[in-house]
Amino acid sequence: MASADKPINTDVPEKDVFALHFLQSLSNLRRQNTFNSPEKTNDRVKKIKKAAYVSMARAAGGTSRLWSRALLRRAAKETNKVVRFSRRKKRVTWLRRRSNRRDPVEEEEKEAERLRNLVPGGGAMETSKLIEETAYYIKCLSMQVKVMQCLVDGLSPK
Amino acid sequence: MDLNGPRSAAAGPPREPPGLESLHLGGGDAGGFTALLELPPTQAVELLHFADPSSQATAVAVAGIGLDVSPPPPPIHSYGASLTFPSNSVLLERAARFSVMANEKQQQNGNVSGETTTTTTSSNSNLDRVKTEPGETDSSSQRLENNRCGKRKELDKKVKGSATKKKSKSSEENEKLPYVHVRARRGQATDSHSLAERARREKINARMKLLQELVPGCDKIQGTALVLDEIINHVQSLQRQVEMLSMRLAAVNPRIDFNLDTLLASENGSLMDGSFNGTAMQLAWPHQVTETEQSFHHRQLQPPQPQQWTYDGLNQPPWGREEDQGHGNEHTSLMAVSENMMVGSASLHPNQVKMEM
Repeated sequence: MASADKPINTDVPEKDVFALHFLQSLSNLRRQNTFNSPEKTNDRVKKIKKAAYVSMARAAGGTSRLWSRALLRRAAKETNKVVRFSRRKKRVTWLRRRSNRRDPVEEEEKEAERLRNLVPGGGAMETSKLIEETAYYIKCLSMQVKVMQCLVDGLSPK
Repeated sequence: MDLNGPRSAAAGPPREPPGLESLHLGGGDAGGFTALLELPPTQAVELLHFADPSSQATAVAVAGIGLDVSPPPPPIHSYGASLTFPSNSVLLERAARFSVMANEKQQQNGNVSGETTTTTTSSNSNLDRVKTEPGETDSSSQRLENNRCGKRKELDKKVKGSATKKKSKSSEENEKLPYVHVRARRGQATDSHSLAERARREKINARMKLLQELVPGCDKIQGTALVLDEIINHVQSLQRQVEMLSMRLAAVNPRIDFNLDTLLASENGSLMDGSFNGTAMQLAWPHQVTETEQSFHHRQLQPPQPQQWTYDGLNQPPWGREEDQGHGNEHTSLMAVSENMMVGSASLHPNQVKMEM
């Protein structure tokens, strides 16, 4: 069983995919805003950040990854202003019941808990899956950071 | 030879308890060793060869087992068979103690001490060497050490809170076994929980290796907790970077409004004046687009479509706005952006949209 997981796929699409989605989402944002953008900077920052994450989730393979799904779900729910934690807690308790007796003792589970809080959708994943998703998430994050860096460098005043 | 045969056969069994006791008491030298064996010399040689030419002690231990279990000369590979008898558990414990004692005897000709912890490592290393002997000895020696591991594992399981022991145990086994896959072991086979747990643990370790390669500077660190710490720090730093970049983007924002629209719309008609490398870029883009077009189409057809109509709608206003603002700055910034995107090979979007239209 352990040897059956050999081909772990953590390929991430190219940077242009990320750039495409990000720019699309940004242009969407611009369309949504009034052109005078009367809102405060904070709101704008949050919108951009959210757009960044959503576009990253879409670029990184749509719904084929757990965390991207969780991200998209979270974004969709935030627009409707619905609390998002219900599903997560349910799965966590189910998992915990099985392995609860040794979890508090192990160092690793504490770290896994922290990781779960960081990676979106982490509460619904078992530890091995969590680690795989984290690897993919790190790759996508770094790609997104590169894209945004390019954009900022390109658009900042010389 | 006839005298030797019956004498050895007769002397074998009655010799066992005193033999064991003598081992237990730590009395041993070469003479005692050979006397203890009470086996024909060929078999003694085999035993020696089986254990290790250098360590008589393990041979003694194994010989002890052999004496206990099967009286007439058993071939080497039947040790494994004999070891699988359920009645051997007690004998195996004895054997464990014996090899420990034997190792102690090897190191110092002193008395027997009851400690097994300090000498388990040496005995493990002995067994490691034993294990690497090719041929039939493999299975038996592995089963021997597995049984010992099983003993320790059972003890650990009883303690139930000993997480670190489990970790060391699993790492120990990983060192010992030449292959890494789940296998039923003695003393554990009935426990599906531990099997599943071990499989799970191995999965986790495999993926942790992946992560270690990904995060810079994680190769040197030993131990999963610290590696996880590093990974968490890395993820947090990446998220903070995203937040900072989005803040900077927001600061640049008022210019993005128009630039992006113009940038995205410019490729449709290539109506931009003063775009000195606009044509060059457009020429460069199509061949890139054709490569990725299939992947895009394959992956998502829905999100771009609502955007297409918006781009159509956006064509006119940006031009108007652009003329209001003046051409120079906008064009240079656009070109800069486009060039950056080109450098990063991230500029397929406008043509992509165009193609889908």
